[in-house]
Amino acid sequence: MRIVRDIAAHPTGRVGAAIILLYLLLALCGALGLTPHDPLQQFRIDRLQAPSATYWMGTDLFGRDTASRLMIGIGHSFIIAFASVGLATLFGTLIGLLAGWWGGLADGLFMRAMDVLLAFPAILLALLIIAVTGPGTFTSIAAIAIVYTPIFARVVRGPTLSLKRRDFVDAARTFGSSQRYILSRHLLLNLVAPLTVQVTLALAWALLTEAGLSFLGLGTQPPAPSLGLMMSEARNLMQQAPWLLVFPGLTIMLGILGFNLCGDALRDILDPRTQRRTA
Amino acid sequence: MNYLARRLLTFPLILLGVSLLVFFSIRMIPGDAITAMLGTEAGLLTPVQRQALAAYFGIDQPVVVQYGRWLAGLLQGDLGISVTYGKPVLTVILERFPLTLELALLAMVIALGIGVPAGVLAATNNERSTDVVVRILAMLGQSTPGFVVGLVIIYVLSVYFGFVPAMGSFTPLWTDPLANLGQLIFPAVTLGFAFAASVTRISRSAMLDVLSDDYIRTARAKGVPGRSVVWHHALPNALIPVVTLSGVEFGYLLGGAVIVEQIFALPGLGRLTLDAIGQRDYALVQGCVLFVAFNFLIVNLLVDLAYAALDPRIRLGAR
Amino acid sequence: MQMKFTRTVLAGMAAMLLSTALALPAQAAELRMAWSQDATGLDPHTQTAFSSLRLLELIYEPLVRLDAKLDVVPAVAESWSFSDDGLTLTFKIDANAKFSDGAAVTSEDVKASFERLLDEATAAAARSNFLSISAIEAPDPATVVFTLSQPDAPILVAMATINAAVVPAKAIADGSIATATLGSGPFVLDQWDPNAKEVLSVNPNWAGGDIAYDGITISVLPDETAILASLRAGQTDFALLNDPLVATLVPNEPNLQLNAVPGLAYNVLQLNPSRAPMDNLKLRQAISCAVDRQDILDTALVGEGKVTGPLTMPAYASDPSTLFCYEQDLEKAKALMAESGVDGFTAKVIAATGEPPVASAEAQVLQSQLAEIGITLEIELMELNVYVDRWLAGDFDMAVALNGGRPDPYPMYNRYFTKEGNLVKVSNFTDDEIDSLLQQGRVETDIAKRKEIFQKFEARLAELSPWIWLSTSNLYTAQLKTVSGFESSATGTLFGVTKITLAQ
Repeated sequence: MRIVRDIAAHPTGRVGAAIILLYLLLALCGALGLTPHDPLQQFRIDRLQAPSATYWMGTDLFGRDTASRLMIGIGHSFIIAFASVGLATLFGTLIGLLAGWWGGLADGLFMRAMDVLLAFPAILLALLIIAVTGPGTFTSIAAIAIVYTPIFARVVRGPTLSLKRRDFVDAARTFGSSQRYILSRHLLLNLVAPLTVQVTLALAWALLTEAGLSFLGLGTQPPAPSLGLMMSEARNLMQQAPWLLVFPGLTIMLGILGFNLCGDALRDILDPRTQRRTA
Repeated sequence: MNYLARRLLTFPLILLGVSLLVFFSIRMIPGDAITAMLGTEAGLLTPVQRQALAAYFGIDQPVVVQYGRWLAGLLQGDLGISVTYGKPVLTVILERFPLTLELALLAMVIALGIGVPAGVLAATNNERSTDVVVRILAMLGQSTPGFVVGLVIIYVLSVYFGFVPAMGSFTPLWTDPLANLGQLIFPAVTLGFAFAASVTRISRSAMLDVLSDDYIRTARAKGVPGRSVVWHHALPNALIPVVTLSGVEFGYLLGGAVIVEQIFALPGLGRLTLDAIGQRDYALVQGCVLFVAFNFLIVNLLVDLAYAALDPRIRLGAR
Repeated sequence: MQMKFTRTVLAGMAAMLLSTALALPAQAAELRMAWSQDATGLDPHTQTAFSSLRLLELIYEPLVRLDAKLDVVPAVAESWSFSDDGLTLTFKIDANAKFSDGAAVTSEDVKASFERLLDEATAAAARSNFLSISAIEAPDPATVVFTLSQPDAPILVAMATINAAVVPAKAIADGSIATATLGSGPFVLDQWDPNAKEVLSVNPNWAGGDIAYDGITISVLPDETAILASLRAGQTDFALLNDPLVATLVPNEPNLQLNAVPGLAYNVLQLNPSRAPMDNLKLRQAISCAVDRQDILDTALVGEGKVTGPLTMPAYASDPSTLFCYEQDLEKAKALMAESGVDGFTAKVIAATGEPPVASAEAQVLQSQLAEIGITLEIELMELNVYVDRWLAGDFDMAVALNGGRPDPYPMYNRYFTKEGNLVKVSNFTDDEIDSLLQQGRVETDIAKRKEIFQKFEARLAELSPWIWLSTSNLYTAQLKTVSGFESSATGTLFGVTKITLAQ
């Protein structure tokens, strides 16, 4: 609860939180069917209409309402982004922490496994996973999660190694703190800042990766709207119907902006050194 | 030295893992070289014809036997023959690599050249207007999908300037430096766009961390001038995450930038791999992935060495 | 400020690069071509991909070829004749025909080429069109005689493809066909970087006449938007386009010209009658009536193409409006649906990503149209190769496809709808009458009678609705206005580039 108050008090965090709340609200409305039009209904007489009072953001090749599709698309893209980054953070942090803390054989084993995954170019790895299992929402989530897990592991392992040797951990040890206590309290607290930055970046990346996969025809399947798919469908219509590229593009950019602003705010708030300084 | 040797010893192990993963996963994708070549006409083949083609493509043996054969070849430095190109896999890869390498270097130069100064500038002007502007630009840069940047660049160039970068084939730097640069600068900007934005964010964030550290405050208290504190004391430490990030990113770029190569029609490693997957040119896919993985490992090793050199608190290989 | 700076830099950069381009020494006249998909191989007998055929047609020649009106005209052969019983086909070889190394094309080369085609070890998919050949003789260097086991009217048209190219007997003997090219066609392939570029030069020994320029370079630009940009910037003279969304932008450009010609290939919704409820005739007919073909054409293909029945070649095609339920009729569809006893169901429809570019759009319009009669379509988009694999195995409820057409109905459909057709496991559909009509059409040599037979065939096929034929697509090429003389063909061949002249 304090965090919510802190974000609300943070100048840029407020903006970011507002954007994400707005998006969540739009996605919720979409999920409840409260869209201006049916996002899948094809008003084929009204194909490729420019934005108007009826179609706020114009219509696509099939005469579907862009605004309604965006509302559903936000939900869809967010689900993929949150789910994949959630999984990647969970597994990546776990692996990175254990590898960094235990060191030795465990470190070698974990990090070599991560290296195998990391050694693949991201899009190609995702592409191989999707090619083997066939495209779809769950495949996209799994593919993006697998691609980003090693990055989290690396991000967490570095500071863990570094923090492990810092004085305050040694101090805590000499004062007889249990290993679990050290791990959870000091390390996690000190990892929050880099992790938060990483999670916000990763949420942005996940949205972008999903768009990239859709661009290559491997993301969400039509007619379900996702922001990436909408952009890739609009690619060759860029000249006749620029709104089809502009609105989903702005929606993605704004969404990511929201995550970044929130991430920065969280970083300011959670960083123990910032707290120390302001306290 | 000891550390280096131990790291290098893990490489074959990782590469073995990579090769296993890629070898079996590409064979799990439905369709094979025969359907890739013939499309729906493959249905007209008689069993004898199909058998003849399978033998030609080297896919008539059980997968495990194929892997054994391939691994044996690999140990003698032979990555096999690409059926699409009719040449040794390594030859095909090395023809495409100069473009990818140059593109990655250019993109990194752009990203670091813009990102690090911008990040430092923002951190030293924390919460002032410069900081806000830099952060907004960085965020917008990071939020724009690469293919949109690329498509917009091509559209603007071709519509307003009546010009597009040369597409299709690659002019090496040593044949015609100017033509080469003209061909690669726009794809490099496309790649460097988001990359610069991440570098900016990471530099700023790291710089802020370091600037609040005790030793910087000590230096300040001792009367070291602000500029010197920033560039000589703080920056080397702040560069640690920047090095990690750029290293990882550069390693990825060496694997080829699939989407940018697609948009700008550049014959780089990314498209080579993508086309090879599409054509089920198994030997080529394996070769490409292994080559990329090898480069990535080398780059990462260098990153870790740099990491140790920059942060005196880390001693590599120490328990 | 920032904006202005960027624009100045870009303008400067562009000017600099343009000036270097202009500073290059005057080069030999060269046609700069672009396409988005490259050839997959060089063996004219085994390569079947559209893109491979387009390249090999510039290098090799068959005995006969099809002109723009789809009539059979001489190529390597200068004349031909069927015996009265239709069991012997004799070709006279053009005395001027030479391979690019200067050696004359002889009857031994023709014989060796067809023997190679018929050898199963060659793995030529086109072999199935030539199974009626029982013997090939070369009585003298300028004469080839094919003996047929039964009258086979379509065999001449089947020979008019690059898959039946005449290759040198010595190249067959030394096994160099897959790796090197030596043809008697208008161009010689000097360099090939797969998926990047081809360099061709004019074959001075070509018997077909003079070409007004010296060579062709073909760039492979995988993104058609990039091809358009390259044309717009004047860096490409001539390009092959697949995506109607891109092609329709060409006429907006003052320096460009679009050539569109209706192709022989057809867009189709293949139903799988081996799976319930598609085994139900009334249900299939209900689907046919529920589909608005013009609407699909207008929406998914932006109006580029024509509504078509099963036959797409002008010489045999019927007026689509005479076919069963070619106007959307929802009342009838619902009535047929009720008769069928099927009460709404869900089916999965497979489609390939980007192949054709309109596949996904077609599937989405079909989905919306069929929802009207209670049929729910789930779209499965997949990579082309995965799609081909599923398609060949007949592993789908429905499939959106762009199937290749032929100038003759028999080779176009015998593979799908005769009982011994190679692709019956794809269509999963046979019918005694359809089978017998195809057989009759094959052996009949009288054009008027053949036409009558195939009209019956087309009407019956449309009525039985194993597939829902939708429309043809246009084949596109785009060119700078400085280029003239290109002749399009419904087969998609680029052979017409031999007629091109380049204005400077």
